[in-house]
Amino acid sequence: MILHILNRPPSTSLVYREALAAMGSTDRLLLIEDGVLGALTSQVRHFQQVGDRLFALREDLVARGLDGQCDASVQVVDVDGFVTLTEEADKTVSWF
Amino acid sequence: MTTPVPVEGDLLVILRHSPHGSSWLREGLDAALVAAAFGQSVTLLFMANGVLALAKGQQAGPLGQKGTAATMDMLAMYDIESLFVANDALAEFGLAQQDLMLPAAGLEAEAIAELMAGHRQILTF
Amino acid sequence: MASTEIARYMIVDDRRIALDPEGYLIELSDWTPGVAEALAAEEGRELGEEHWEVIEVLRDFYSRYQASPAMRPLVKAVGQTLGSEKGRSLHLMRLFPDSPAKVAARLAGLPKPANCL
Repeated sequence: MILHILNRPPSTSLVYREALAAMGSTDRLLLIEDGVLGALTSQVRHFQQVGDRLFALREDLVARGLDGQCDASVQVVDVDGFVTLTEEADKTVSWF
Repeated sequence: MTTPVPVEGDLLVILRHSPHGSSWLREGLDAALVAAAFGQSVTLLFMANGVLALAKGQQAGPLGQKGTAATMDMLAMYDIESLFVANDALAEFGLAQQDLMLPAAGLEAEAIAELMAGHRQILTF
Repeated sequence: MASTEIARYMIVDDRRIALDPEGYLIELSDWTPGVAEALAAEEGRELGEEHWEVIEVLRDFYSRYQASPAMRPLVKAVGQTLGSEKGRSLHLMRLFPDSPAKVAARLAGLPKPANCL
């Protein structure tokens, strides 16, 4: 299982499409930095194919005042959760 | 186009940026060269704008800036000969195999995950 | 990478040749066979026919790829041009002891190879 990390929002960057194209069926996707904008209910449709393997970093949501608007389908993790995700993955790949 | 069986290797370098516009492509190629110089088996995957690195006929920039075409030519000297290119990105730019300066196997999107799974380490540029 | 910091000058045939702190040429166009001999003499090396043919391989490599090769591609280039007998690291180690890729690039008037230790 590969942990893919995306730090750009689908609203302004198409790099999320590369991440999605590269994801295997058990791979996970973690949204960080501006990438967390993609976790909002109004945006999360872009990540539909990821299903329940979509994560967003709590600290980045909170900093932007967006933790309340994060979609229920997204698993919110804090930095410790980020570390756990990394440990559970064979390797990580960053998309930026 | 048929999708070849993805190879395995030590390092997969994913190149997503086009020549001249930024230093990402050059840095990615440099990383690949360093790894190969130390005996790692290196695979390159060109996707998104990165497929333009494979275009034939590249020149120096208007101010004489070195591009990356000479470095691309040099890959074989470092035994980096496992090159893949995303078919959808090629199509996006209207490029066909005969427009490429080096032979690169076309990959359908579904095969990319397999290619990634086959490598011990992955770097994106 | 080619350095631009001039550390000292070497006089060769009445010309002042600028060198960087590691002894590589500042101006690659300053190179002549005489410069190579002077650089080699500084290190107590004398260049024979087998040195010169490797220097030529290196200069061809640079003009084609715009980069100095690390050891592996240097061995490969030498092998392709001079035959498999010479395309071996032992041969290059004997000609350019210590670090063939770096020593030979310096004598060939090329920048220091970027990707080798």
